[in-house]
Amino acid sequence: MVPLSLSQTGDTVVVRAIQGTGHLAIILGQLGMIIGIKLTVVEKGKESVIVRIGESRYALGAGAASMVLVEFQV
Amino acid sequence: MLLEPVQPVWFSLNFKYDDCMKEIRILLAGNPNVGKTTLFNSLCGVHQHTGNYPGVTVEIKEGKREAHDHSIIISDLPGTYSLSAFTPDEQVARDALLTSDPDVIVQIVDATNIERNLFFTTQLLEIGIPLVIALNMCDLADEQGITIDDKCLGKNLNIPVVRVVAKKGEGIQKLVDTIIEAAETTTKPDHRKIEYPHLVTTHIDEIGNYLSSHASLLKTLSPHYAAIRLLEGDEHLLTMLHEKGLDIPFIDKGDPAERDGITEDILLARYRAAEKVTTCSVMCTMGRVMPADLIDQVLTHRIFGIPIFLSCMWFAFQLTFSASNPFLVGIEYVWGYFTKIINGIGMDPLIRSFLSDGVIGGVGSVLVFVPSIFVMFIILSILEDSGYLARAAFVMDRFMHSIGLHGRSFIPFLIGFGCNVPAIMATRTLQSRADRFITIITIPFMSCAARLPVYVLFAGVFFGAAAGNVIFFLYVLGILVAIVSALIFRRVVFKDEPSPFIMELPPYRMPGGFTAVLHMWYKGREYLKRAGIVIFGGVLVVWALATLPAGVEYGSAESLAGIIGQAVEPLFAPLGFNWQLVVGLIFGFIAKEVVVGSLGTLYGGEDMLESSLAADPTISPAIALAYMVFVLLYMPCVAALGVIRQEMGNWKWTAIAIGWGILMAYLFAFILLHVGSLFIGA
Ligand SMILES: Nc1nc2c(ncn2[C@@H]2O[C@H](COP(=O)(O)OP(=O)(O)O)[C@@H](O)[C@H]2O)c(=O)[nH]1
Ligand SMILES: [Mg+2]
Repeated sequence: MVPLSLSQTGDTVVVRAIQGTGHLAIILGQLGMIIGIKLTVVEKGKESVIVRIGESRYALGAGAASMVLVEFQV
Repeated sequence: MLLEPVQPVWFSLNFKYDDCMKEIRILLAGNPNVGKTTLFNSLCGVHQHTGNYPGVTVEIKEGKREAHDHSIIISDLPGTYSLSAFTPDEQVARDALLTSDPDVIVQIVDATNIERNLFFTTQLLEIGIPLVIALNMCDLADEQGITIDDKCLGKNLNIPVVRVVAKKGEGIQKLVDTIIEAAETTTKPDHRKIEYPHLVTTHIDEIGNYLSSHASLLKTLSPHYAAIRLLEGDEHLLTMLHEKGLDIPFIDKGDPAERDGITEDILLARYRAAEKVTTCSVMCTMGRVMPADLIDQVLTHRIFGIPIFLSCMWFAFQLTFSASNPFLVGIEYVWGYFTKIINGIGMDPLIRSFLSDGVIGGVGSVLVFVPSIFVMFIILSILEDSGYLARAAFVMDRFMHSIGLHGRSFIPFLIGFGCNVPAIMATRTLQSRADRFITIITIPFMSCAARLPVYVLFAGVFFGAAAGNVIFFLYVLGILVAIVSALIFRRVVFKDEPSPFIMELPPYRMPGGFTAVLHMWYKGREYLKRAGIVIFGGVLVVWALATLPAGVEYGSAESLAGIIGQAVEPLFAPLGFNWQLVVGLIFGFIAKEVVVGSLGTLYGGEDMLESSLAADPTISPAIALAYMVFVLLYMPCVAALGVIRQEMGNWKWTAIAIGWGILMAYLFAFILLHVGSLFIGA
């Protein structure tokens, strides 16, 4: 498992955990970013990412991206 | 003894008429950017602002439609992904849905993104108020090869589903009929239930039973539903119940980790339900192509993203000025012609002074800038409709973060170049209070369209060919001051980190030429209306002050305007402003265009404003520069001040925001006056 902020453009990853206290898990959850879901990394900034789930794209800043732990899919 | 008041006939007629119209109150809810406001506009025949990014609507807008002896009161809500509200705009939507007890809730569902939309549906179903789904964007779904069996969708959820294309007004009548039917049904709605795992149901029952004995506190919510909300982590409800002195089983006493587990189970149960309904009612007939991925990879590229954005801005800036030039010349010609006519006709000197100084000199000076402002609005509307705005926010997130702001603040900033008022309202999409306050304090440094006339006038008169560069410099200066202010406030006052940046990126859409023109027209019309009322009013006052007391030479130091200006002038002595300029600043508080309007009135007379300003020996280019800087920074107009007060919620922070602006204005005007004097002559 690695933070989403370490992924690369074009990667397909599976969400394994959402770290941290507070609302992050609920905020991501209502967008469909739940444990076990598959994400495509559309664009990777320095630490921020744009991911796609199905039809929706979400931008995650560095802070949020480092809290989402993912596993790479091959 | 009191006599019964006699009621006029029309009143009783009116009353009867209203009596046979049944009133239905509905809420338009749904995810951001699914077309709620577009549908609202279609339903009510109005033109509320729409745009292709999340967070366009931040407050409830009400409208009305009459059909079949029913009067439907429609509320357009801000978009939310769920009932867990984290930002003030989401909170507004949540409160309306849970506490306003409407007759029908209409959820607008984006047909191209059913599954996530249905997640919210699973929450709305449980409220227990009749729910109708308006399946919107059916045109796009067709285009993308998505086939939706709306009958099957409706049957699965046991709610009516109506296909609409809000943008083209298709399916609206059917939707209205369905809404009325749903409102008329007297039996309790029997929506499909979400199946929760056994453990979750036990906790729901436990809490629900406890809450049944306090049902009056829950108002319209059923105890069962309140229990689900609490388990889902609804902090507003929890706080409300805590304030009433309740101690809720499991929530207050249970193990936090176990509670989080239940919250997650509920989330999963909702997604499972949404997925099940989606799989059996949605079919994709075409392989999906994702051209947007490619565009995103270019526009948000980690190296090219920022240069691309800056070039866009530079281009937009150039367009604003060059595109409006031909119009400027035309309008000036027309006004010059009017002046000649007025001067040619014999009339009372007071009326002539009013027409030539007040109307043409004052209001005319402002109207000259309407074309520039229209062009600026059309650019902003293209930016809003194409989907690029949200990408720009992403590209700028890292930079925004480094100056202590939230990436999302970027959207209000850009809107602020059009007008600060909606920009300040747009801060409602920010989660943390600190992020919101810093953004509100710095938005007024974004040079709004109303300040443009001041720059164009002074830069044109005093800087000739370099005018464009001077104006560009002012915009940049405003941004720099905003950056410095944000840094200071983040370091000194709000020391916490900005909250994490998460934002949905809307699909790219070709900004329709028609929509863009329509947007421009509605915003431009607002501007014209203001020019007509506020600016005219302000100019009228200045004209009267310049004329009174009777007998003084118009616009002289002995007139009331002169007396007021001179009284305040010493305050601005270090900046070198003469009393006419000071009067402009005072009245510019009403609206910044009034600065130009009042100067036009004071300097008007026989000559045009430009030549009189150029001939005034007390204004040097350096002073003109300092003046423009002061106007840029000094104070938001009355309208903006009102929203600042409203959004800050107290006078203390409103005062800090204003004080900070004046301080920055004085400081930078002073610096530029002295630096400017070295290079461009005092
Ligand atoms: N193609 C298409 N676009 C639509 C439709 N309804 C809305 N839109 C566009 O979707 C975007 C979001 O609309 P808006 O009403 O602001 O959404 P809201 O955030 O839910 O209020 C705008 O750019 C609209 O022009 C539709 O039925 N078809
Ligand atoms: Mg809206």
